[in-house]
Amino acid sequence: MIQILTILHALLAVGLLGALTHQAFSVARRKPASPAHTFIDRFRGVNSPTFTNVVVLLFVVTSIGGGLLYPRYRVDVRTTLEDLQLRAANGVFEMKEHFAALGVGLLPAYWLFWRPPLHVEYADTRKYLTWILALVTWWNFLVGEVLNNIKGLYP
Amino acid sequence: MKRYASFKVFSLLFGVVYMGLFWLNEFYGIAFLRYYPVLGGFYNERQPPETAGPAILWYFWLFGALAVSLLVSLVVPRRLAERIPHNWIWMVSAALMVAILVYERRWFY
Repeated sequence: MIQILTILHALLAVGLLGALTHQAFSVARRKPASPAHTFIDRFRGVNSPTFTNVVVLLFVVTSIGGGLLYPRYRVDVRTTLEDLQLRAANGVFEMKEHFAALGVGLLPAYWLFWRPPLHVEYADTRKYLTWILALVTWWNFLVGEVLNNIKGLYP
Repeated sequence: MKRYASFKVFSLLFGVVYMGLFWLNEFYGIAFLRYYPVLGGFYNERQPPETAGPAILWYFWLFGALAVSLLVSLVVPRRLAERIPHNWIWMVSAALMVAILVYERRWFY
């Protein structure tokens, strides 16, 4: 059961990562949309507001999944990390849990500022909220993957 | 936007309350609820680690922040909520992230 939940948690995180990265790139655009020539142009040339509800839903569901996995991590994985004296690994996970909480708290404002019609005066707020959520998601995803595979990484 | 002004209050407060509860525990050992995965239950008091194993406080910080932010965002009048500068939300969150990085650097020495 725990393996299924871990894989599901990772798959949801991949979906979230994709949606948020598209949106984060799209708000970084400095000039009005021009015909997409490069891969980056096409990657950022998405209809950003359509990602909002999916991001909120995936962020909440992925966080709940993380919350369900946490007891097993605390008992089995963290004690192993402590035994192996991998303090940095514990540290990056501590940050992961705090960042996840901050991300959950930001979701109502994120949803509000992405709500159509998009006001130009909120463009900066929208951009920075999206970037913070993207940063949180990338950090949490990478830390989760590293810790999940840590036995293979530290023989 | 005006109709949902309380969302700004919630997002502004959530991170601050969460980190406040975290640091309350870090500096003074205060937590009102601890989850013991080995025992499979929530307890107000600290349990002996030999029999109870490690405690999880993250749930308390999260639900504490959720309860306080929700309550305040419902109580704050809409007019007041509308006057909150929208940039404050991401700025406070960014500042909290920096504070987390600074505080948690203790794990890397």
